Amino acid sequence: MSTVDYSVEVPAVQGRLSLSEIEELVAKPLDSKPDKKFYIALGISTSVLGIGAICLLITFLNGVGMWGNNQPVSWGFPIVNFVFWVGIGHAGTLISAILFLLRQKWRTGIARFAEAMTIFAVMCAGIFPVIHTGRPWLAGYLMPYPNQHSLWVNFTSPLVWDVFAVSVYFTVSLVFWYTGLIPDFATLRDRTTSKIKKTIYSIFSLGWRHSTRHWQHYEKAYVILAGFATPLVLSVHTIVSFDFAVSIMPGWHTTIFPPYFVAGAIFSGFAMVVTVLIFVRKIFDLQNIITIDHLEKMNKVILATGMMVGYAYGMEFFIAWYSGVQFEQFVFINRAFGPYAWAYWIMVSCNVFIPQLFWFKKIRRSVPVMLIIVIFVNVGMWFERFVIVVTSLHRDYLPSSWGMYAPTLYDAGILLGSFGLFFTLVILFTKALPVVSISEVKAVADGAQPSHHGGEKHG
Amino acid sequence: MNDEEMTYQKKELPASVSKIGLGLLILGIILGVIAFFADQTRASFNYLIAYAFMISIGVGSLFLVALEYAAGAVWSVPIRRVVEFFAATIPFLAILVIPLLFNLHDLFHWTHAEAVADDEILQGKAPYLNVQFFIVRAFVLIALWTLFYLFFIRNSKKQDETKDQKLTKRNIRLSVIFIPVFAITISISAMDWLMSAEPHWFSTIFGVYFFSGTVIAALAAATLATVILKENNYLHPKITNDHLFSLGALLFAFINFWAYIAFSQFLLIWYADLPEETFWFLQKWEGSWAVFSIILIVIHFIVPYAMLVSNPAKSDPKRIKFISVWLLFAHLFDLYWLVMPEAPGMESGYTFSWIDFVFPILIVGLTILVFNYKAKKDNLLPIGDPKLKRGLDFHL
Repeated sequence: MSTVDYSVEVPAVQGRLSLSEIEELVAKPLDSKPDKKFYIALGISTSVLGIGAICLLITFLNGVGMWGNNQPVSWGFPIVNFVFWVGIGHAGTLISAILFLLRQKWRTGIARFAEAMTIFAVMCAGIFPVIHTGRPWLAGYLMPYPNQHSLWVNFTSPLVWDVFAVSVYFTVSLVFWYTGLIPDFATLRDRTTSKIKKTIYSIFSLGWRHSTRHWQHYEKAYVILAGFATPLVLSVHTIVSFDFAVSIMPGWHTTIFPPYFVAGAIFSGFAMVVTVLIFVRKIFDLQNIITIDHLEKMNKVILATGMMVGYAYGMEFFIAWYSGVQFEQFVFINRAFGPYAWAYWIMVSCNVFIPQLFWFKKIRRSVPVMLIIVIFVNVGMWFERFVIVVTSLHRDYLPSSWGMYAPTLYDAGILLGSFGLFFTLVILFTKALPVVSISEVKAVADGAQPSHHGGEKHG
Repeated sequence: MNDEEMTYQKKELPASVSKIGLGLLILGIILGVIAFFADQTRASFNYLIAYAFMISIGVGSLFLVALEYAAGAVWSVPIRRVVEFFAATIPFLAILVIPLLFNLHDLFHWTHAEAVADDEILQGKAPYLNVQFFIVRAFVLIALWTLFYLFFIRNSKKQDETKDQKLTKRNIRLSVIFIPVFAITISISAMDWLMSAEPHWFSTIFGVYFFSGTVIAALAAATLATVILKENNYLHPKITNDHLFSLGALLFAFINFWAYIAFSQFLLIWYADLPEETFWFLQKWEGSWAVFSIILIVIHFIVPYAMLVSNPAKSDPKRIKFISVWLLFAHLFDLYWLVMPEAPGMESGYTFSWIDFVFPILIVGLTILVFNYKAKKDNLLPIGDPKLKRGLDFHL
């Protein structure tokens, strides 16, 4: 295919699947018993989760002194991991809400999965600030409610804004996801032969009958939820960036942080979605629904957001020099050439240089190559947060208190455990719910919408 | 759809348009010259604001054209020419910039050698903020924009005759190169012309701030022209309110984006409370400037937000026509708010002067003239574009 015909729309679903074929394809994993491979995958991911749980247990028994966090770097892995996981979540909302408002049909094949990943990623993220407090059993006091201890949260602290932002984000994402699932639950209810499943699906489908009236209400609700979720994409990572940027720490306090964090979040989230979808579409034989065109489009988004992140790196550096503030200048020189230069250059290479390969169409459409690139992006975005947290803190205003940060095995174990949790949830999801929105994909399939071919007959 | 519907008949804009444009331009030039003689500093600052506004209209429009190609948008194809005609103002930036270059001393504190000699911070910035490099940058940016504009337009016009799909492909390539170039050049313009009016101040988000305003201005100009042309039946009858809805929705999105960026910049500086940053906002809270600061929030965000938030409003031609004039003014006001409090003699608050109203007349006249000239020469519809048919058939 050397030339593209711009006068016709690229079909969102390939292989001329009929509507019943789509339904069969998506519902197949739910109808069959899990195979050996499923149990192996689940076994690996739960083992990794177990490692994290053990490390966490030891931490609870002995205290957060088991971690590398210390003065001057008091925000170590927990905050790095928190920001990383919250960022991963953003792609889901972007795909499900923003691309919906932008009427992008290609989102239908990937939206459900991306939304599920949002929810799981926010769950992973939620662990870290709670354990970082050192007294996770007191987390309830983060919610402002009148209590007998007369404890009241500090509303001017961005850490409290985080609590609100992340919990609202989680709730709205969950409701949005569930709303999209209702018609699919009804479809599953109608086709299942198992009595238990039928009962469960009946409860969750809320009496859905696919009537026009239901669809009208559904579509209104969906638009409103999409409109509600869109500002949340911006607000959550903006507030996460405020955790850093409202301080007076050089390297943290810079005004570009909010949009830069949002771009970075979308960047890393898309990379994670591509990483997982590559496997999902192969294992569940969904190549016609999650097409190579969709992957290519996501790679374009990765390229674009990667350059936005690169713009922010460049702008920070330039303004650090331009500002004439010695502290700012020192922090950035120290980032690029100091003891953590290796982390900085891993970040720049993975986030800015390597994604440039996506300029080439062949690479954008080659599954193995894109897998390697998106894994680099995942690594790079984790290192970005590491660089922001650690390099800014480890050499602050007072040279006598300078120090280095070294994570312990427990830090690494808990990070690993969060990946275990994420993939355990992802694997369970693939067997419990339709990984692609059946009703939405049907709506963009061939013949479901008026087209020029149809129009010509009337003319 | 049959082929008859596709045949496009060129209609010339009424002669009164060019008369109005020419009249405004001449009036603007005469008053502008008088203004420079009456109060050179005030005139220079006002002229700077008008120049930045022209960057917004011209370069912002070119960005919208590039965005359509890069994103593969379909709905905007039938009105792309309107946007292209606004982008045609880009080559005039090379002429418009000249009066500024003769008044750099009035405009920019950092050009004063004696001030730099006593000021360590300005000495540190001298490798970037010096007159030679500044002028070189100004012209390099204009040259880049002009080149991209000429390439885009050449391909777009050629396609009217040849209907060659390769030209679309070429413009897509051009777009993906232009968008990063645009990001960098618009940031440099923002820092050079607007941020360096207070050379001690710095903000990493400032380029994004100007970008958000730029897109609003370009979108508002495109919306205004589209609605007027549609009302007078100059556009294809298949361009419906659904197309307008997309414009209205984009305007709404970018109003929010501007507010988000503006709020982020303000909140972070207010919260950290570092004297090297806060003084810039404090200056904009001095005397009557405080009123300007509040008005800016109201006219640039609250009012347009309220007017566009409902879905029917976004496709109501009357509503979006009004709001696009409103937003063009709001962007001008924003630029005024950015620059004017830094002008010598204006530190303690706003003082009235007729000069403030002169240069907007000039640039409105110029833009109308350029638009009219382009509309005479080129088709109002990109008749050779392969996506045109799909664009005309666009429905929500």
